[in-house]
Amino acid sequence: MHQLPFTALLNKLLAGPVTAVLTAMGFHVHHPEAPIANYVAMQIFVVVIAVLLFIAVRATLSVDNPGFLQHMFEGIHGFVSNQSKEIIGHGHATYDSYLTALGIFILFSNLVGLFPAFEAPTAFPYVPFGCALVTWFYYHFHGIRTNGFAYIKHFLGPIWALSPLLFVIEFFSHLARLMSLTIRLFANIFAGDMVTLAFFSLVPIGLPLLFIGLHIGVSFIQTYIFVLLAMVYLGEATAHEH
Amino acid sequence: MRKLGMLIMLGLMAAPAFAQEPAAAASHSLGVGNWALAAIGLGIAVACAALGQGKVASAACEGLARNPAARPGIQLALILGLAFVESLVLFIWVMIFLKVPNA
Repeated sequence: MHQLPFTALLNKLLAGPVTAVLTAMGFHVHHPEAPIANYVAMQIFVVVIAVLLFIAVRATLSVDNPGFLQHMFEGIHGFVSNQSKEIIGHGHATYDSYLTALGIFILFSNLVGLFPAFEAPTAFPYVPFGCALVTWFYYHFHGIRTNGFAYIKHFLGPIWALSPLLFVIEFFSHLARLMSLTIRLFANIFAGDMVTLAFFSLVPIGLPLLFIGLHIGVSFIQTYIFVLLAMVYLGEATAHEH
Repeated sequence: MRKLGMLIMLGLMAAPAFAQEPAAAASHSLGVGNWALAAIGLGIAVACAALGQGKVASAACEGLARNPAARPGIQLALILGLAFVESLVLFIWVMIFLKVPNA
């Protein structure tokens, strides 16, 4: 297993405790001296960078003299907030913080793959699956929170006679949402990596730059799509039957 | 008549001898044929997706030309439509990527 420099650093510092915890929880660790995989280390790196950025923004917040970071984050939060007001409508402010954090995590995870000694954690299927699972439970939780037990009516359709059939269809359709969120993000980023490698092996100079540019564009678009779909699912789940 | 029937039964008893031959298609793999079929399937998928994305983009262009003031909404619908069509191609690509290299 090839380790990135950051992964090697984390493993050197934390291999002992991490292996002990994993073995205590019942997992079989294949490499006890390197229990942290590349994608886990990259996720940790992304979260550390994001938290440092957030601390920097909080420390320099000012009403009279906003700095560059404050402008950028106001812009990001305003963008997500406007979108969610359009899509979710009333009561959108509860979800804005989660959606912004999700967007920043996925964006940074996608973009970190462009730097030489790092790789995108979203290029492994586990990470997009994690994001999709959290989003899935999040929107179901808020659907139940806003609608109570009437949430089940979302699955039953308009005609009572067809409810059993429609319940099965809705059940599988919600599972398909989980799969489609995961695979869309994973396949876009992973395919971008593979295509860059393929063209790199053909024409080492110049041409792969175009694919790296494509990868940047795809990273932004896929982040936007993921957050947008999360908003759509949230809006659907929290819709009150007025 | 009975002797003919017994002869036929004796002939059928030889059927288990066929089981001694080694199973020819144990892995159900066509070798390079797997890759060829995958490439053809993916080619068809990409062609149909390209047609679909072309329709999405052309509808967005027409809408934008008629009503440039509606740009935010049209841009949103354009990006969303393109991403949905692309994700269908990526589903079949993931299936091929998972199964074909491992025969």
